[in-house]
Amino acid sequence: MLMRRTQSDVATDVVIVGSGASGSVAAARLAAAGFEVACLEQGDWTGPADYMSDRPEAELAWVERWSPDPNVRRRPADYPLTGEADVSPVMYNGVGGGLVQWAAMWQPLLASDFRVRTLDGVADDWPISWSDLAAPYVQVARDMSVSGLGGDPALPELDPYPNPPIPIGRIGLAAARGMDRLGWHWWPGANAIASRRHGSLQACQRRGTCMMGCPENAKATPSLTHWPSALAAGARLVTGARVVEIPLDERGRARGVVYRDRDGVERLQKAQVVILAANAVGTARLLLSSASARFPDGLANSSGLVGRRLMQHPYRTVTAVCEEPLESWQGPWGQSIYSLEFAETDSGRDFVRGTKWMVMPHGGPMFAVAEYQEAHRDEGFDAVWGTAFHRATAEVFGHAFTWGIQAEDLPEDDNRVVLDPEVCDSSGMPAARIEYRVSENTHKMLDFNVARAVEAAEAAGAVSTFVRDVWPTGIGHVLGTTRMGDDPQRSVVDRWCRAHDVANLYVIDGGVFVTGGSANPTATIMANALRVADHMIETRASQEVGA
Amino acid sequence: MSDSGPTPPQRATFALLADILVAEGLGMPAASTVGVAAGLLDRCLEAAPVLAEPLRALLDEAAADDPDAFVQGLSEHRPDDFAVLSTTVVGAYFLSDDVRRLIGYPGQQPSPLSIAAEPEYLEMLERVHDRHPGYRECP
Repeated sequence: MLMRRTQSDVATDVVIVGSGASGSVAAARLAAAGFEVACLEQGDWTGPADYMSDRPEAELAWVERWSPDPNVRRRPADYPLTGEADVSPVMYNGVGGGLVQWAAMWQPLLASDFRVRTLDGVADDWPISWSDLAAPYVQVARDMSVSGLGGDPALPELDPYPNPPIPIGRIGLAAARGMDRLGWHWWPGANAIASRRHGSLQACQRRGTCMMGCPENAKATPSLTHWPSALAAGARLVTGARVVEIPLDERGRARGVVYRDRDGVERLQKAQVVILAANAVGTARLLLSSASARFPDGLANSSGLVGRRLMQHPYRTVTAVCEEPLESWQGPWGQSIYSLEFAETDSGRDFVRGTKWMVMPHGGPMFAVAEYQEAHRDEGFDAVWGTAFHRATAEVFGHAFTWGIQAEDLPEDDNRVVLDPEVCDSSGMPAARIEYRVSENTHKMLDFNVARAVEAAEAAGAVSTFVRDVWPTGIGHVLGTTRMGDDPQRSVVDRWCRAHDVANLYVIDGGVFVTGGSANPTATIMANALRVADHMIETRASQEVGA
Repeated sequence: MSDSGPTPPQRATFALLADILVAEGLGMPAASTVGVAAGLLDRCLEAAPVLAEPLRALLDEAAADDPDAFVQGLSEHRPDDFAVLSTTVVGAYFLSDDVRRLIGYPGQQPSPLSIAAEPEYLEMLERVHDRHPGYRECP
């Protein structure tokens, strides 16, 4: 039998797995407080030289190189996602994680999102409340150079955003007029896109290719907003490092992490504390892969909940086609305006919880026509091809805006991440198998909201509308697979995001969400990571550590 | 044309199929007349290399078939293959400068923001504030 040879790196105080939204926040905060920090990232740096967003071929980048689906993109750092799921997760594996590709919509959760069991009798309450995240929300908004307008009555008051809102454009104005006629809620969108030069960001140039990388460096991403300060404070960021296991000492504490470097060499990064920030799919995969005699069902999984309760914000769209020119290829591709009119439970409806709506441009002509064709696919070939192709282009291109409808999908044990028994990634680690079905409650919620969005489009003066069913890919936020809670039998981590089962193991990505709300999750992921990092700093003297 | 790009026969087949998907009409040119089977095809495949191999296989297969029947067959029974063909045709078509000019598309060009001191939506926003009941209080 061959002995496995593992090379050891210099021990550190903290090792963080993943360099994206949560990992970058923790690295910057902990390094500034004097911790020795090492962060392991399976991908590489991505910057303007890699972007295609300032080329005419930008839309074609979405087909492969800049697809949000790792199974399509298939870069060396991507690991396969298998299984049959109604919605496929989106992710980016590289420095900055999903925030390399995100649309930068910045949306705190509702106050009620933390108390859904108490208020609506479903799912579970969070062990923390909105007020616990209030100060971190403000800090991360500053760090991310968010542009937005405070004072939305649908949300608790926070300090003003650091930058004024990005102009809502013709698309936002048209949509807002419709909401005004109906008497429904809307508000100018907040985005982590600088409306003026701020911090490390330049002012937005409205290219509208935000999800293929911003060549102007106007969109916040950790390689601009957090990693420079983290590295300056002494943090070490290792790229091309795929973590495959979390080994334990004899007391059941994490010793650090085992990873394979870009040459395939297996290495042990010893650390006193391990922080997982690899997103709700990657973290669950790593914990399940770290099964041992002590934890036969996966590390930190005495509750049996690791990988379960996956939530993904099922998403539908209603596109409003107007006669007036709307220049709807213009960016940014964040949210022009949003609505929380139907975000809360209404006992008169046949579903619980609700949605967030947001208005977006349609991008270039390839995207605009593809949307039209997808919505009309059941009408047959001649409805969308041949000369009809030009009719579709003339009708929709530059004359449309889209209401995106993002649903709160409640946590269900059978929606989950498991290890694929056959398929492995390039390092031999099992692929993540996604089992996810959109629930009846969510379908009812989306059906109701789509009907309302059609009304909103018509009130905005739309001459026609078209509707898309649940998007199978392209949106899929990943949340909930390592939920936080006070009861070790019903949660994976405690209110400070420390594993109930392993005293020096933390999870700080979106996996800790108890419920998903309907808001885009990044603001909350980053705020929570900051809250946890600050707690680690305050309690460092009493932190149990690995041998 | 790169060495690994479609051959001249494959390009000829592509032009035939492309014109079925994007025909001349409504003041717009057919796909082949703007050059989708020439340089635009190369640009498209360079931007999305994943399309190249399956497209070449499709074009070889199509060469022995009636073009209309082939495209209809893909559309009705082979959605993944149809997506390869249609994505390439549409992607190449919208790379054409002539097509962009005809549809009034300047491209995803930089355009500096202009932030108004008093946006024209302010009155509408005041009405939102006045009529909203406030956020849901929580225990």
